[in-house]
Amino acid sequence: MIRNNKKLLLFFTVVCLPAFVIGSPEWLKINGITPCWPVIWLLPFSLKSRPWIAFLAAICLGIFMDSFTIDKVSYIPSLVFLSLVWGRNRIQNNKIELLFNIGLMSIFGTICVGFSIWIQKILFYNSLRNHWFNSWAIYVLISEIIITGLVAPFFSSWLLLSYKKN
Amino acid sequence: MIKARRKIGLHLLAKSSFWLIFLIGALLFGVRWTKGTGYMDFYAVLVKPILPGTAQREWIKEGEKIEQKIRIKLLEDDNNRLRKALSLKSFNADQRISAAVIARSSRNWWQKLEINKGAKDGVTAGQTVIGPGGLVGIVDSSTILTSRVRLLTDPGHQIGAWISRIKQHGILTGMGTNRPKLIFLNKNSLAQIGDAVTTSPASTILPPNLTIGIVRFVDAKALPSPYAIVQLTASPEAIDWVQVLKNNDSK
Repeated sequence: MIRNNKKLLLFFTVVCLPAFVIGSPEWLKINGITPCWPVIWLLPFSLKSRPWIAFLAAICLGIFMDSFTIDKVSYIPSLVFLSLVWGRNRIQNNKIELLFNIGLMSIFGTICVGFSIWIQKILFYNSLRNHWFNSWAIYVLISEIIITGLVAPFFSSWLLLSYKKN
Repeated sequence: MIKARRKIGLHLLAKSSFWLIFLIGALLFGVRWTKGTGYMDFYAVLVKPILPGTAQREWIKEGEKIEQKIRIKLLEDDNNRLRKALSLKSFNADQRISAAVIARSSRNWWQKLEINKGAKDGVTAGQTVIGPGGLVGIVDSSTILTSRVRLLTDPGHQIGAWISRIKQHGILTGMGTNRPKLIFLNKNSLAQIGDAVTTSPASTILPPNLTIGIVRFVDAKALPSPYAIVQLTASPEAIDWVQVLKNNDSK
């Protein structure tokens, strides 16, 4: 059983995560926006691992995600912040596994990642500074929050249970 | 002997010969006045059945097309030669690489396409990507088998653009929506709604005269510089095949 769980985790991490990030399947989109996959993966890992391991995982995940972006904007700051925040909440409380809690935490994570990217974009591109209200960013952020909030309770709680069983 | 006086007066109208002469005269006048229109029309109707058939019309059209192609080729060669002399960017229509879109992120934080042609096929960073409708984006990076295309709509992405009607340059800036912003370099912009936006003919980065879009909104009083909102003619959300333009200088 433990072996199977490990295989499932490995399968999700090595195959599913890159496939979802690169392929961005249409059936997992809302308004053309995909869920925030790094948050979905990092949330259970941070909740069940030691803080420094979660920290390292966040950096590795950030580097992996940055390889699919097209400018200097990085996932690393927000993911590191989230790993620290969630690492502090590393509790054995079973309530954390509730779908609603997982959903709320993933929404919080998505907001952090979204704002981090938005702020970095504004810092890097002069043309975006002229308008403090970037409608596209709000559109992406809200859509991403909704879809991640819907998807995370299933994926993240399943991953969390798998980690626990390991 | 007294001769009877000749009858002149209204009773002449009653004679048929008068009307005949009058009608002939009127007809002649009409023909002269209309420059023979009736005759020509009648002639056209008459010879219609024996006019050159559809096959001949096709031959003529085909001939015209070939002539136009030759003319375009000559003009393109001439244009490329002159552009080379001026050290401007040029492209050869023969050097196009067709590629399929294998992944699309046209609304996310990063607006990009992944295409199935890479360095192996000669696609390198900085090359221009066009789709049905016009310019789509620029190749951002390429692997051996794939390339990543940064769309014109990507927030912060900037390229030079040109409105040929008013002969003015501007900077087309992606705003994350389907309608990028064209920031004019000149304060006295006379752009109008409906103006076509293309790549600059004097560009040293992009091939010249590629269609980008149509001006949809103009704010001529905006500060620090006037701007226009451009509706792109190529929709990245619907494009499944694109073409990468190789520059003449690239092998």
